[in-house]
Amino acid sequence: MKNRFPSWTLGLLGIILLILVPVIYYLPRAQSRNDPAAYLPTKAVHVDHKDIVNGEFKTGQEVTRACLECHEDAATEFMKTTHWTWESKPFDVPWRDEDVTIGKANQINNFCIGSQGNEVTCTACHAGYGWEQGREAQQANPENVDCLACHADLGSYTKSKYGNPAEGVDLLAAAQSVRAPTRENCGKCHFDGGGGNGVKHGDLDESLYFPGESLDVHMGGEANMQCTDCHWTENHQILGRMIADNYTIDPEEQVSCEQCHVDQQHKDERINTHLASVACQTCHIPAIALEDPTKVTWDWSQAGQEGREDDHFTYLKIKGEFVYEKNFTPTYLWFNGNNEYRYILGDPLGKDGITYINKPAGNIEDVTAKIFPFKLHIAKQPYDVKNNYLLQPVTSGKDGFWTTFDWNSAFELAVPITGLAYSGEYGFTETYMYWATTHMVQPADKALQCESCHGENGRMDWAALGYPGDPIEWGGRK
Amino acid sequence: MKRYSLTIIGLLLLALAIGFGPALASSAPAPASQASTLHPNFILLDADGANVLESGSAVSTMQTCGQCHDTDFIASHAFHSDLGLADYAASKESWDASTGTFGQWNPLTYRYLSQDGDERLDLSTAEWLMLNGERVVGGGPATTSRNDAPLADVKVSRENPETSILKNGSPTTWNWDKSGTMEMNCFLCHLETPNTEARAEAIHAGEFGNANTATLIGLNVVNKSSEGWVWNPESFNENGELKSEFIGIQDPTNANCATCHGEVHPETEEPLTLNACDLDYPQTATTGQVVSGQRINESGVNLTDKNNIERSWDIHAERQLQCTDCHYALNNPAHASELQSNNPEHLVYDPRSLEIGEYLERPDHNFARGESAQFNVAPEYKGTMRRCENCHDASKGHANWLPYIGTHMDAVACETCHIPQMYAPAIQTYDWTVITTSGTAVETCRGVDGDPNAVTSLVTGYEPVLLNRTNIDGDTLLAPYNLITSFYWVYDDANGNKRPVRLVDLEAAYLEDGKYAADIAAAFDSNGDGKLASNELTLDSAAKTDVVKTKLAALGLNNLRIEGVVQPYSINHNVTRGDSAINDCKACHNENSRMSQPIKLTDSAPVLPIFDAANNVNNSGEFVTDADGALYYQPMPAEDNLYVFGSSRVNWVDWFGAIAFAGSLLGVIGHGTLRYLSSQKQPKGQKRTERIYMYDTYRRFWHWLQTSSIVILLFTGLIIHRPDIFGAFSFRGVVTVHNVVAVILVINAALSLFYHITTDRIREFIPHPYGFFDDAIVQARYYIGGIFKGEAHPFEKLPTSRMNPIQKMTYFMILNVLLPLQTITGALMWSVQKRPEFANALGGLPFLAPFHSLVAWMFGTFILVHVYMTTTGATPLEAMRGMVTGYEEVEVHESKDE
Repeated sequence: MKNRFPSWTLGLLGIILLILVPVIYYLPRAQSRNDPAAYLPTKAVHVDHKDIVNGEFKTGQEVTRACLECHEDAATEFMKTTHWTWESKPFDVPWRDEDVTIGKANQINNFCIGSQGNEVTCTACHAGYGWEQGREAQQANPENVDCLACHADLGSYTKSKYGNPAEGVDLLAAAQSVRAPTRENCGKCHFDGGGGNGVKHGDLDESLYFPGESLDVHMGGEANMQCTDCHWTENHQILGRMIADNYTIDPEEQVSCEQCHVDQQHKDERINTHLASVACQTCHIPAIALEDPTKVTWDWSQAGQEGREDDHFTYLKIKGEFVYEKNFTPTYLWFNGNNEYRYILGDPLGKDGITYINKPAGNIEDVTAKIFPFKLHIAKQPYDVKNNYLLQPVTSGKDGFWTTFDWNSAFELAVPITGLAYSGEYGFTETYMYWATTHMVQPADKALQCESCHGENGRMDWAALGYPGDPIEWGGRK
Repeated sequence: MKRYSLTIIGLLLLALAIGFGPALASSAPAPASQASTLHPNFILLDADGANVLESGSAVSTMQTCGQCHDTDFIASHAFHSDLGLADYAASKESWDASTGTFGQWNPLTYRYLSQDGDERLDLSTAEWLMLNGERVVGGGPATTSRNDAPLADVKVSRENPETSILKNGSPTTWNWDKSGTMEMNCFLCHLETPNTEARAEAIHAGEFGNANTATLIGLNVVNKSSEGWVWNPESFNENGELKSEFIGIQDPTNANCATCHGEVHPETEEPLTLNACDLDYPQTATTGQVVSGQRINESGVNLTDKNNIERSWDIHAERQLQCTDCHYALNNPAHASELQSNNPEHLVYDPRSLEIGEYLERPDHNFARGESAQFNVAPEYKGTMRRCENCHDASKGHANWLPYIGTHMDAVACETCHIPQMYAPAIQTYDWTVITTSGTAVETCRGVDGDPNAVTSLVTGYEPVLLNRTNIDGDTLLAPYNLITSFYWVYDDANGNKRPVRLVDLEAAYLEDGKYAADIAAAFDSNGDGKLASNELTLDSAAKTDVVKTKLAALGLNNLRIEGVVQPYSINHNVTRGDSAINDCKACHNENSRMSQPIKLTDSAPVLPIFDAANNVNNSGEFVTDADGALYYQPMPAEDNLYVFGSSRVNWVDWFGAIAFAGSLLGVIGHGTLRYLSSQKQPKGQKRTERIYMYDTYRRFWHWLQTSSIVILLFTGLIIHRPDIFGAFSFRGVVTVHNVVAVILVINAALSLFYHITTDRIREFIPHPYGFFDDAIVQARYYIGGIFKGEAHPFEKLPTSRMNPIQKMTYFMILNVLLPLQTITGALMWSVQKRPEFANALGGLPFLAPFHSLVAWMFGTFILVHVYMTTTGATPLEAMRGMVTGYEEVEVHESKDE
């Protein structure tokens, strides 16, 4: 025993400690920064279903039945989500006596206006089958849940009328291809929403299928992040809410940069003083629709012109006139995460000639609000001249506007569906809709810097934001 | 009248101030803060004080602005206007007659403002103004003669450079009455969009009286017709006042300053492009400074590795600072705190300053200025501006990472690290000894491959050279510079005054009908292609020089010779934040230190230039010529009393140390070899040994801790001394280890001293004088003789007396001389960051650091010999084993055996 550890080893240890401890204590250390990648969800490797799924599938429902044999709760979980219901929880809004719900199912936007009566085509983006059964019957049946929309390899699967699989789809092959959702699955509806690539969002379009790092620092380059890396999903509840389809949003339900960028301060303390008033997105998304253009105006009043040539980016007979823009500066507003107003069918038109489909909440006095970038979409939409509300036409189907080009019949058809009376007289009015810009975050070296906002050539309209003048001179809000 | 208008302005401002107050409180949108709305409508007056609308004459700024502002005060308190006229005095010693553009010769613009009585007229006042007037604000030499009389009153004579002009090579008279003179042009700096082109056109045409009015062309206020000025009645109100919306009067913006000073690019979206090496943009041409907040990678400059340069051109421009924020009017009450710097110490703030109205009446147009090397006008205002340290507290900003902050700040200007690189080309040489066919110098630019203004040229930028400068307050700091070298012919005129050879004379010598003269072409065209390429256009041979000299001499020029001057141009703009600043210790603390980086002056020098002495830059470096004949300027930090660890070293110290170490190594190897050889001949097992508890625990612990410390210190010290050899180590980390271990060593030494004193064992270390030398000689003879014969050690090694006389002497020296010296010099070097005065009292780092290195060499040598000596015990490893375990086999001496 004594031979194994001669006493001098103790002295050696003492000497080593005496030198090492103070040296290590005083050694300069690089300030450790939280690595955002550490906060990404770890995902289990998906089991290849090729050898698990077998049988012959004639309908989508049959596929779902097969899925549910093992994933017993999947459908019931999914049916609680707005991806299924297309309708928000009820909100108490100050301008209505009763609670209202908002969603694709029952309200309008200022693109294709509304889905009611147009479900035959609109539900191609609903993660369910069988809308031909009518909304109630469709919603009640768990077998109508479309597992494939989000889980199949879209090389082997596509949807069509009433949300059913398109004709000719090999459902077995599709079912065998299932895996965790990719950008492709989400992108199919979210990149092409509004009827085409990049129409709606401005920060979500098909350029994100294969993005470069300079387009999106998260989804592009080495990070190659998938939607669910930020839109954390548990039991089919996907984190993140769309401001356009809600009135208020619980921050707990929202995706935020801070999920992963925890305690990550800028090296420049000047920038950090901005954090109380400026959202991350404002500086880190200097421009929207970087590669593919997005629709910024849509004039329905020009629809139906005989003999005018169709052009995807400027005019379509069924839809009217558009303007697409690319790589442009967003609109900046104070935003606390909620809407100040969301148009509910039957609401009167705006007083100053502009009807807001949604209006982000927040102002300079609101300490929870930050300056946030938006894509503003301006439309000219039909309204009932006598009743002073916006009209939702039936556009699809054999009697819809897209076939008949007769507005009156399109509005008449909608009356029993929406329950809103039509006086027989319509006009067109300007409607504004704001889309929060949070994707296409560019690398840090492309972020805005001081002079982008401050000074003579800055991009901010300080007066509109409520400042007495450029805060670099007049000071920020207190 | 003046006082009345002033009251109105005052009231207006007061009303605005009150108006803004509640606006701020309620956060209601304030009225658009246009500078122009602050300025009232005003009548435009001509020189006679009549409304121009009625007279149809040119506007007089002195009259017009003088309605409210004290324009006489302004014009007489403005070095931008004076340009050296006030101290104009011809002298025999120097051809410079003043410290400003008017009177100080500039080797880049070259033309010489002739003095009264000069043999040959070069630039007369009128031609000086035509040539430079674009960047002359007016007033001063543009209105007043060198004798302080109005130019128009000077008696016209062909002989007087103030009333003549060179025409076709000979002087003719200049009529100031006809040309008019140029009043200080308020519009140039106070209008949002002054028409500088129309103004320049008028100046170049010699129509000085029209220049200020021309500044207003294009604002729908005035137009020029063949008859004269036509004022647009639409832009005047019923009182005959110019409506303020037609003429936005404002504080000078960066763009206003840029009109004369250099490239400024305030636009955020439009990519920056620039005019490089163009003296119409002097600040950019001479240094590559560009005032723009744009990210460099978003600019339109064709820069190497541009995509990775995320920093903006200038952080202060990016952060919306204006030139006037640092270069403010000296009596501006907004900057009252700066004016109070000479308050008594107890007075933190003195409320007595000008009221805004008083200031607006008499704004001092001597602007706060720095101490740049080449701008010497109004030297009394040098150092008045806001410098880095007036806004930034470096000790806070660097606290988290920069060691020895005080030391760094005392020696290095902020610009040195925060302007690490210039990203635009800058002039390198201006060679006027030869001229191009268009009568310009042969120019080269640094920081660009090829023509600096061709879009296809690759801009590389350049690293400024670091030179030591002496500030007004006596501080000396290393700061970044560009060096521009010019060469030119000079001659002695009839009065015995040295003058640069006039451009007309150069043209006469070099050119014939706009082409090179036949004899010149023959002498210069070395490749015989009939054209003179830029590499042929240089006086690189005596033959070429002689041809030119002969031709110039034929023009009657005496004592012709070539001179050259190297001028430092200060770089103070294009600052960047810490991220892009120099923040790697090894940038300076290394063999190829930034501080001693040479900068190329010229590919070939017709003569060795002199370093321009008329500035605050210490010419402490030296000229170096490389194998290709290119001339460099090599800074010598040591000459500026700077010792840069890792870069500076005193060669003899290293040589001496290395030789001592190597000598000892050789000696040890030789001695060891002999011992080995002799031991082979000796019979084995002859000596009796005994195991003795030689070293107690504390002694061993103390010894090995000291051993580890010294080895680590020697090694880390070596890295700090020569970081270029040990590139893998972090300089900062190694310095920290060195400092920490040094403290451990000192504590250990102190504790062991305490131990040795209290236990009386210190006696072992003290050589006893009696018989000491005899004993030492005995011991030495043993080492050189007996040891090889297998003799016993002359002195017995006992726990109470472990050391022989030579050891005693060695340790006595080490512990009493080397260790204290090394501790003291080391501590002083460390203390430089807190209390440099102690170190400075003992010679400062330039003495202490090499001394520390010298002692380190001796320590290294000692360790080598010491380790060898331990092998002379009973067996080679026995002594070392004893120091580890405590027990050592030692020879038993017969005498003590009984």
